[in-house]
Amino acid sequence: MENADGSNSLTRRQLLQVIGSAAGAGAMYQAMSSLGLAAESPYRGPVDLQGAPKGATVLILGAGMAGMTAAYELRNAGYSVQVLEYNGRAGGRNWTIRGGDRYTELGGLSQQCEFDKDLYINPGPWRIPYHHFGMMHYAKVLGVPLEPFCQVNYNAYLHSAQAFGGKPQRYREVKADYQGHVAELLAKCTRQNSLDSAVSKEDQEKLLVSLREWGALDKHYAYVASEAASDRRGYQKNPGGGLSARPIPSKPVALSDILKSGLWQGIPSGDTFDMQTALFQPVGGMGRIGEAFGRELGSQIRYNSKVIDIHQDDHGVAVRFVDSRTGGSEQTLRADWCLCTLPLPVLAQIPMNVGEALSAAIAAVPYAAAIKVGLQFKRRFWEEDEQIYGGITYTDLPITNIGYPNYGFQSGGKGVLLGAYIWGLNAMEFTAMTPQERVQKVLEYGSQIHPQYHKEFDNGVAVAWHRVPFTLGCFGMWSTDSRAKHYDDLCRIDGRIALAGEHASFLGGWQEGAVTSALDAIARLHERAVSQGKKV
Amino acid sequence: MTRLTGTDAMRNLVMLLLIAAAAAGAYADDASFTSHAGVGSMTGAEIYDHICAGCHMPDAQGAVGAGAYPKLAANQKLVSWQYVALTVLNGRNGMPPFGLPADQVMETRAAFLSDAQIADVVNYVRTHFDNKYQADVTAKQVAALPHPPTSMMGPQ
Repeated sequence: MENADGSNSLTRRQLLQVIGSAAGAGAMYQAMSSLGLAAESPYRGPVDLQGAPKGATVLILGAGMAGMTAAYELRNAGYSVQVLEYNGRAGGRNWTIRGGDRYTELGGLSQQCEFDKDLYINPGPWRIPYHHFGMMHYAKVLGVPLEPFCQVNYNAYLHSAQAFGGKPQRYREVKADYQGHVAELLAKCTRQNSLDSAVSKEDQEKLLVSLREWGALDKHYAYVASEAASDRRGYQKNPGGGLSARPIPSKPVALSDILKSGLWQGIPSGDTFDMQTALFQPVGGMGRIGEAFGRELGSQIRYNSKVIDIHQDDHGVAVRFVDSRTGGSEQTLRADWCLCTLPLPVLAQIPMNVGEALSAAIAAVPYAAAIKVGLQFKRRFWEEDEQIYGGITYTDLPITNIGYPNYGFQSGGKGVLLGAYIWGLNAMEFTAMTPQERVQKVLEYGSQIHPQYHKEFDNGVAVAWHRVPFTLGCFGMWSTDSRAKHYDDLCRIDGRIALAGEHASFLGGWQEGAVTSALDAIARLHERAVSQGKKV
Repeated sequence: MTRLTGTDAMRNLVMLLLIAAAAAGAYADDASFTSHAGVGSMTGAEIYDHICAGCHMPDAQGAVGAGAYPKLAANQKLVSWQYVALTVLNGRNGMPPFGLPADQVMETRAAFLSDAQIADVVNYVRTHFDNKYQADVTAKQVAALPHPPTSMMGPQ
């Protein structure tokens, strides 16, 4: 594997490809994040929009997180704001499906959600890292209560159909054993003087002490069945009280078995910046934020409005739209400025007189395939039988993730889990199926990890993002190249029109990208509006 | 080969093959899903049913929401095989490109189809769904079309 520069190590790019093709996009994204390629939120507190020209108007297209953030701030700054929204609800991809909801995908197939009261699935975003300061801020000002989102559960599983006879392994055991063996090896190298050129003698002593602690090694620097190791990987018999109290240590899995299994790929699932504790979810579903925004903006949002034409001239912007349900007669709204947050696959098909650079940018971003499937079971067997309370199981099966509900612990009755969350090729294949087939396949694969699926399944809902009528895809997938070529053009104001949304951010696929891009865009629009003064 | 001899490179390669083999075998017995290792052997019909049908629909009727997916059935634009092949290669308006150079395939979570596969799926669509054209597009003809550019960034 020789590179152009003559070296024969893998380049970072090649490595990411390998990780991606072998372990899936989720693992690749984790690797990208750990290599510092995923960015932090630029949110720095509420936006300052003083001195709005009296009577200035802004038309906002799309009542998702970007559009409603902009509407809220512009309204508070004194602008006259109107929002056009395709759906009959606020939120866009900030969306929760609950019992009683009906969802019809592109192609016309309809699903009636039959979840019990208070049970739900978030087909789109489901977690908010604490450092997504914009999302945290709006949840707070809108009065939406948050609760912890469990990203890493040591008692959830890492699973490969090809490893350990297909038997899922507890995250705790894989992590402890990998770490223990690596610590033992490194201690061995240190004590055999292999590190003399890299580490001073004084530091070597400290390193040995730290390795013993980090890896739960014994006094001979070995990782073996012991109290210390069991305190990491769990006991064969847990310590208790009374006469039956004495714990029995468990036996570590050999390093070779861990390496061969590939399960080590799942270990850093909570180490990347985006996934580090604390993470949150709104109580009652992610959609609570969009719903609260919608209530706050009230009649400023015009629902069921499908934009069909956007036209600007020297004096303002005119947007033509029809009723998205009936297709009825055309109407037109005018404003001084327009903030357009429509997803790019939708916007690319709407006539709009902007420059070539922006047009090219709008057409340059493919949208990711992604699937989420919510499954209701007759009982919370993952808690009752397997003591898994929240968190995520990772597998190399096409379902990729099983997400356990981070609410309603031990509540008895039914429970809803996320049976699958997939990107990439397998997501495209899931998309091509009917919703019923998707649920069926997810049950089939999930039962390899939880055999209870067969007996306990109640009903399910499957959302394939390429078939979602209001986005035609999950989120914008920039490549390094397309970003270099088009990103700035996408974000630049064209006359009286500015774009915002996760696609206009370095936080692709995250709600924080939508929020921060909206704040950035309205600050620039505001500057332009102020410099032009009051419009006549 | 350079400095460190081929040992490291070989070790890397072996590791790759091990991982790839494991991934390829994971669900080899289910025709519903294709591993990344297996995507290269999909036929035109399989590509349509597994990938294209997600948006253009199993009967190629397309769909309309806030935006639309074009109907491919009885579509006169298909008279130009180049138009179809270029769209598959480069994507269009949010549609993922399927001819991306390898270094961008994973970055954009797309899938890669060879020129022969693109010829195959173009032929499939142009001879099904009430489209009555000749299935005569070859891999060589597709290869001669403009493909998405290779990375500007170069090896790191």
